[in-house]
Amino acid sequence: MQTESTGTLVTMIDETKGSAQFANTAQGRPAEGRRGRKLTRVVRGVGWTSIGLGLFILGFVAQQLFVTTYFAQQANVGLTAEAQVYFADVEISEVPYEPPLGSLVPGDPVNIPTPGVPSPTVLVEAKPEIGDAFAIIRIPSIERLQEGWAVVEGVSRRTLRAGAGHMPSTPLPGQPGNSVISGHRTTYGAPFHELDTLVEGDIIEVETALGIHIYSVTGIEIVTPRDLWVIEDRGGATLTLTTCHPKFSSRQRLVVFAELIEGPNAEAILGV
Amino acid sequence: MKRLILRLPGPMPVKIALFAAIVIVALVGLFFFYDWIGTSLLDTGGTIS
Repeated sequence: MQTESTGTLVTMIDETKGSAQFANTAQGRPAEGRRGRKLTRVVRGVGWTSIGLGLFILGFVAQQLFVTTYFAQQANVGLTAEAQVYFADVEISEVPYEPPLGSLVPGDPVNIPTPGVPSPTVLVEAKPEIGDAFAIIRIPSIERLQEGWAVVEGVSRRTLRAGAGHMPSTPLPGQPGNSVISGHRTTYGAPFHELDTLVEGDIIEVETALGIHIYSVTGIEIVTPRDLWVIEDRGGATLTLTTCHPKFSSRQRLVVFAELIEGPNAEAILGV
Repeated sequence: MKRLILRLPGPMPVKIALFAAIVIVALVGLFFFYDWIGTSLLDTGGTIS
Protein backbone atom coordinates (compact mmCIF):
# COMPACT_ATOMS: atom_id res chain seq x y z
CA MET A 1 0.00 0.00 0.00
CA GLN A 2 2.74 2.37 1.07
CA THR A 3 4.91 1.40 -1.90
CA GLU A 4 1.93 1.95 -4.15
CA SER A 5 1.32 5.50 -2.87
CA THR A 6 5.00 6.33 -3.01
CA GLY A 7 5.07 5.04 -6.52
CA THR A 8 2.13 7.25 -7.44
CA LEU A 9 3.83 10.32 -5.93
CA VAL A 10 7.04 9.70 -7.73
CA THR A 11 5.16 9.00 -10.95
CA MET A 12 3.56 12.44 -10.50
CA ILE A 13 6.98 13.99 -10.03
CA ASP A 14 8.09 12.04 -13.09
CA GLU A 15 5.25 13.51 -15.15
CA THR A 16 6.16 17.05 -14.21
CA LYS A 17 9.83 16.53 -14.78
CA GLY A 18 9.32 14.56 -17.95
CA SER A 19 11.93 11.96 -17.01
CA ALA A 20 11.60 8.17 -16.86
CA GLN A 21 14.53 7.84 -14.52
CA PHE A 22 12.54 8.84 -11.40
CA ALA A 23 9.82 6.27 -11.98
CA ASN A 24 12.30 3.48 -12.32
CA THR A 25 14.11 4.69 -9.24
CA ALA A 26 10.94 4.67 -7.08
CA GLN A 27 10.16 1.09 -7.79
CA GLY A 28 13.72 -0.05 -7.58
CA ARG A 29 15.64 1.96 -5.02
CA PRO A 30 14.37 2.25 -1.41
CA ALA A 31 16.59 5.31 -0.71
CA GLU A 32 14.77 7.37 -3.30
CA GLY A 33 11.42 6.23 -1.92
CA ARG A 34 12.39 7.37 1.55
CA ARG A 35 13.34 10.75 0.15
CA GLY A 36 9.96 10.97 -1.55
CA ARG A 37 8.12 10.17 1.68
CA LYS A 38 10.17 12.76 3.52
CA LEU A 39 9.33 15.35 0.89
CA THR A 40 5.64 14.48 1.17
CA ARG A 41 5.80 14.91 4.92
CA VAL A 42 7.52 18.29 4.62
CA VAL A 43 5.06 19.55 2.00
CA ARG A 44 2.15 18.35 4.11
CA GLY A 45 3.62 20.00 7.22
CA VAL A 46 4.14 23.32 5.44
CA GLY A 47 0.61 23.11 4.07
CA TRP A 48 -1.02 22.49 7.44
CA THR A 49 1.12 25.16 9.11
CA SER A 50 0.05 27.68 6.47
CA ILE A 51 -3.61 26.75 6.93
CA GLY A 52 -3.23 27.05 10.71
CA LEU A 53 -1.49 30.40 10.46
CA GLY A 54 -4.11 31.68 8.03
CA LEU A 55 -6.93 30.63 10.35
CA PHE A 56 -5.13 32.24 13.30
CA ILE A 57 -4.79 35.58 11.45
CA LEU A 58 -8.34 35.39 10.13
CA GLY A 59 -9.61 34.69 13.64
CA PHE A 60 -7.63 37.64 14.99
CA VAL A 61 -9.02 40.06 12.41
CA ALA A 62 -12.56 38.79 12.95
CA GLN A 63 -12.24 39.01 16.73
CA GLN A 64 -10.78 42.51 16.67
CA LEU A 65 -13.04 44.06 14.07
CA PHE A 66 -16.35 42.32 14.60
CA VAL A 67 -16.47 40.55 17.96
CA THR A 68 -15.09 43.46 20.03
CA THR A 69 -17.33 45.92 18.16
CA TYR A 70 -20.40 43.78 18.72
CA PHE A 71 -19.75 43.54 22.46
CA ALA A 72 -18.84 47.25 22.76
CA GLN A 73 -22.03 48.28 20.98
CA GLN A 74 -24.09 46.02 23.22
CA ALA A 75 -22.29 47.43 26.27
CA ASN A 76 -22.81 50.97 25.05
CA VAL A 77 -26.59 50.53 24.94
CA GLY A 78 -26.57 49.39 28.57
CA LEU A 79 -24.08 52.05 29.67
CA THR A 80 -26.06 54.86 28.04
CA ALA A 81 -29.10 53.77 30.05
CA GLU A 82 -26.87 53.47 33.12
CA ALA A 83 -25.63 57.03 32.58
CA GLN A 84 -29.21 58.35 32.56
CA VAL A 85 -29.77 56.71 35.95
CA TYR A 86 -26.44 58.13 37.16
CA PHE A 87 -27.50 61.66 36.11
CA ALA A 88 -30.57 61.40 38.32
CA ASP A 89 -28.74 59.97 41.33
CA VAL A 90 -25.46 61.88 41.55
CA GLU A 91 -24.91 64.53 44.17
CA ILE A 92 -24.48 68.07 42.79
CA SER A 93 -23.16 71.05 44.74
CA GLU A 94 -22.45 74.69 44.00
CA VAL A 95 -19.01 75.99 44.88
CA PRO A 96 -17.28 79.35 44.41
CA TYR A 97 -15.11 79.43 41.32
CA GLU A 98 -11.67 80.78 41.94
CA PRO A 99 -9.78 81.02 38.68
CA PRO A 100 -6.03 80.47 38.70
CA LEU A 101 -4.09 83.67 39.30
CA GLY A 102 -2.57 83.41 35.87
CA SER A 103 0.93 83.67 34.58
CA LEU A 104 3.77 85.16 36.58
CA VAL A 105 5.47 86.34 33.39
CA PRO A 106 5.56 90.18 33.29
CA GLY A 107 3.03 91.52 30.78
CA ASP A 108 0.74 88.45 30.89
CA PRO A 109 -2.79 88.90 32.29
CA VAL A 110 -3.21 88.18 36.00
CA ASN A 111 -6.54 87.35 37.65
CA ILE A 112 -6.79 89.31 40.89
CA PRO A 113 -10.11 88.96 42.76
CA THR A 114 -11.88 92.31 43.18
CA PRO A 115 -12.61 93.05 46.88
CA GLY A 116 -16.31 93.13 47.69
CA VAL A 117 -17.34 91.36 44.50
CA PRO A 118 -18.54 87.80 45.22
CA SER A 119 -16.83 85.03 43.30
CA PRO A 120 -18.95 83.34 40.63
CA THR A 121 -20.10 79.83 41.41
CA VAL A 122 -19.84 76.63 39.43
CA LEU A 123 -21.81 73.41 39.68
CA VAL A 124 -19.77 70.43 40.74
CA GLU A 125 -20.81 66.79 40.68
CA ALA A 126 -19.41 64.01 42.85
CA LYS A 127 -16.55 62.09 41.26
CA PRO A 128 -17.72 58.84 39.68
CA GLU A 129 -16.29 55.46 40.65
CA ILE A 130 -13.98 53.68 38.21
CA GLY A 131 -16.13 51.93 35.63
CA ASP A 132 -19.20 54.14 36.16
CA ALA A 133 -20.88 55.46 33.02
CA PHE A 134 -21.18 59.11 33.98
CA ALA A 135 -21.35 61.02 30.68
CA ILE A 136 -22.48 60.77 27.07
CA ILE A 137 -20.42 62.29 24.27
CA ARG A 138 -22.01 63.46 21.01
CA ILE A 139 -20.30 64.89 17.96
CA PRO A 140 -22.89 66.02 15.39
CA SER A 141 -20.39 66.02 12.50
CA ILE A 142 -19.44 62.35 13.08
CA GLU A 143 -22.20 59.92 12.15
CA ARG A 144 -21.45 57.21 14.70
CA LEU A 145 -21.34 59.78 17.51
CA GLN A 146 -24.51 61.64 16.62
CA GLU A 147 -26.64 59.42 18.86
CA GLY A 148 -24.09 59.57 21.64
CA TRP A 149 -21.54 57.23 23.18
CA ALA A 150 -21.29 56.49 26.89
CA VAL A 151 -18.14 57.65 28.66
CA VAL A 152 -16.97 55.59 31.62
CA GLU A 153 -14.61 56.64 34.37
CA GLY A 154 -11.12 55.21 33.89
CA VAL A 155 -8.77 54.47 31.01
CA SER A 156 -7.63 50.95 31.85
CA ARG A 157 -7.92 48.18 29.24
CA ARG A 158 -10.97 46.88 31.02
CA THR A 159 -12.85 50.18 31.24
CA LEU A 160 -11.99 51.10 27.66
CA ARG A 161 -13.67 47.92 26.42
CA ALA A 162 -16.83 50.00 26.45
CA GLY A 163 -15.22 52.33 23.92
CA ALA A 164 -14.45 55.65 25.62
CA GLY A 165 -13.08 56.50 29.04
CA HIS A 166 -12.34 59.60 31.10
CA MET A 167 -8.86 60.01 32.55
CA PRO A 168 -9.50 60.05 36.33
CA SER A 169 -6.65 62.48 37.09
CA THR A 170 -8.29 65.21 35.00
CA PRO A 171 -11.42 67.27 35.80
CA LEU A 172 -14.84 66.03 34.73
CA PRO A 173 -16.29 67.54 31.55
CA GLY A 174 -17.88 70.90 32.19
CA GLN A 175 -15.57 71.65 35.11
CA PRO A 176 -12.72 74.18 35.10
CA GLY A 177 -9.51 72.63 33.77
CA ASN A 178 -8.64 70.19 31.02
CA SER A 179 -10.89 67.14 30.85
CA VAL A 180 -9.39 64.24 28.91
CA ILE A 181 -11.39 61.46 27.23
CA SER A 182 -9.67 58.58 25.41
CA GLY A 183 -11.31 56.15 23.04
CA HIS A 184 -10.70 53.25 20.66
CA ARG A 185 -10.23 54.05 17.00
CA THR A 186 -10.51 50.70 15.22
CA THR A 187 -11.77 48.15 17.75
CA TYR A 188 -14.36 48.00 20.57
CA GLY A 189 -16.94 49.93 18.59
CA ALA A 190 -14.31 52.44 17.47
CA PRO A 191 -16.12 55.53 18.78
CA PHE A 192 -13.21 57.78 17.76
CA HIS A 193 -12.71 56.22 14.32
CA GLU A 194 -13.38 59.45 12.43
CA LEU A 195 -11.91 61.91 14.90
CA ASP A 196 -9.43 63.02 12.22
CA THR A 197 -12.29 64.48 10.16
CA LEU A 198 -12.98 67.16 12.78
CA VAL A 199 -12.05 70.72 11.88
CA GLU A 200 -11.69 73.89 13.90
CA GLY A 201 -15.10 75.13 15.05
CA ASP A 202 -16.81 71.71 15.04
CA ILE A 203 -19.04 71.09 18.04
CA ILE A 204 -18.53 68.42 20.70
CA GLU A 205 -21.30 67.92 23.24
CA VAL A 206 -20.76 66.16 26.53
CA GLU A 207 -23.80 65.45 28.67
CA THR A 208 -23.23 64.98 32.38
CA ALA A 209 -25.43 65.16 35.47
CA LEU A 210 -25.01 68.97 35.33
CA GLY A 211 -26.42 69.29 31.81
CA ILE A 212 -25.00 69.53 28.31
CA HIS A 213 -21.55 71.11 27.95
CA ILE A 214 -20.79 72.36 24.46
CA TYR A 215 -17.19 72.56 23.28
CA SER A 216 -15.76 73.97 20.08
CA VAL A 217 -12.78 72.28 18.41
CA THR A 218 -9.69 74.49 18.49
CA GLY A 219 -7.11 72.17 16.95
CA ILE A 220 -5.90 68.67 16.11
CA GLU A 221 -2.40 67.30 16.61
CA ILE A 222 -0.51 64.06 16.16
CA VAL A 223 1.71 63.31 19.15
CA THR A 224 3.54 60.37 20.72
CA PRO A 225 1.85 58.31 23.47
CA ARG A 226 4.23 59.91 25.99
CA ASP A 227 3.42 63.55 25.18
CA LEU A 228 1.97 64.35 28.57
CA TRP A 229 1.68 68.07 27.82
CA VAL A 230 -1.61 67.41 25.99
CA ILE A 231 -3.33 66.59 29.28
CA GLU A 232 -2.04 69.67 31.11
CA ASP A 233 -4.38 72.46 32.19
CA ARG A 234 -4.65 75.14 29.49
CA GLY A 235 -6.74 77.56 31.53
CA GLY A 236 -10.54 77.95 31.41
CA ALA A 237 -12.48 74.79 30.68
CA THR A 238 -11.14 72.61 27.89
CA LEU A 239 -11.72 69.14 26.54
CA THR A 240 -9.06 66.89 25.03
CA LEU A 241 -9.97 63.75 23.07
CA THR A 242 -7.21 61.23 22.42
CA THR A 243 -7.14 58.13 20.24
CA CYS A 244 -4.65 55.89 18.42
CA HIS A 245 -2.99 57.00 15.21
CA PRO A 246 -2.66 55.92 12.46
CA LYS A 247 -5.64 53.61 12.17
CA PHE A 248 -4.76 49.99 13.09
CA SER A 249 -1.65 51.09 14.96
CA SER A 250 -0.94 52.42 18.43
CA ARG A 251 2.33 54.05 17.41
CA GLN A 252 1.06 57.64 17.81
CA ARG A 253 -1.89 59.56 19.22
CA LEU A 254 -4.41 61.76 17.46
CA VAL A 255 -5.39 64.55 19.84
CA VAL A 256 -8.36 66.89 19.45
CA PHE A 257 -8.38 70.07 21.52
CA ALA A 258 -11.63 71.88 22.29
CA GLU A 259 -12.78 74.68 24.56
CA LEU A 260 -16.03 75.17 26.45
CA ILE A 261 -18.35 77.66 24.79
CA GLU A 262 -21.71 76.88 26.35
CA GLY A 263 -23.12 74.96 29.31
CA PRO A 264 -24.17 75.16 32.93
CA ASN A 265 -20.71 76.39 34.04
CA ALA A 266 -19.70 78.31 30.91
CA GLU A 267 -20.85 81.70 32.12
CA ALA A 268 -18.96 81.49 35.41
CA ILE A 269 -15.77 80.12 33.87
CA LEU A 270 -15.69 82.22 30.71
CA GLY A 271 -16.98 85.38 32.39
CA VAL A 272 -13.87 85.71 34.54
CA MET B 1 -8.38 15.20 14.98
CA LYS B 2 -9.86 11.71 14.99
CA ARG B 3 -6.57 10.36 16.29
CA LEU B 4 -6.54 12.99 19.05
CA ILE B 5 -10.06 12.03 20.17
CA LEU B 6 -9.17 8.35 20.21
CA ARG B 7 -6.12 9.02 22.37
CA LEU B 8 -8.24 10.61 25.13
CA PRO B 9 -9.09 8.37 28.13
CA GLY B 10 -12.44 6.74 28.83
CA PRO B 11 -15.26 5.41 26.69
CA MET B 12 -16.28 7.22 23.49
CA PRO B 13 -18.88 9.62 25.02
CA VAL B 14 -16.29 10.69 27.62
CA LYS B 15 -13.68 11.16 24.90
CA ILE B 16 -16.06 13.39 22.94
CA ALA B 17 -17.02 15.41 26.02
CA LEU B 18 -13.34 15.86 26.93
CA PHE B 19 -12.52 16.92 23.40
CA ALA B 20 -15.35 19.47 23.41
CA ALA B 21 -14.08 20.85 26.75
CA ILE B 22 -10.53 21.14 25.37
CA VAL B 23 -11.81 22.98 22.28
CA ILE B 24 -13.85 25.43 24.39
CA VAL B 25 -10.92 26.14 26.74
CA ALA B 26 -8.60 26.61 23.73
CA LEU B 27 -11.05 29.02 22.06
CA VAL B 28 -11.49 31.07 25.24
CA GLY B 29 -7.69 31.20 25.66
CA LEU B 30 -7.31 32.23 22.04
CA PHE B 31 -9.93 34.97 22.53
CA PHE B 32 -7.98 36.43 25.46
CA PHE B 33 -4.73 36.14 23.54
CA TYR B 34 -6.25 38.01 20.58
CA ASP B 35 -7.58 40.62 22.98
CA TRP B 36 -4.16 41.07 24.54
CA ILE B 37 -2.40 41.44 21.17
CA GLY B 38 -5.09 43.82 19.93
CA THR B 39 -5.02 46.14 22.91
CA SER B 40 -1.21 46.09 22.99
CA LEU B 41 -0.41 46.67 19.34
CA LEU B 42 -3.45 47.47 17.22
CA ASP B 43 -5.51 49.87 19.32
CA THR B 44 -4.65 50.61 22.93
CA GLY B 45 -7.55 52.99 23.37
CA GLY B 46 -5.49 56.09 22.69
CA THR B 47 -4.39 56.79 26.23
CA ILE B 48 -1.54 59.18 27.01
CA SER B 49 0.78 57.94 29.74
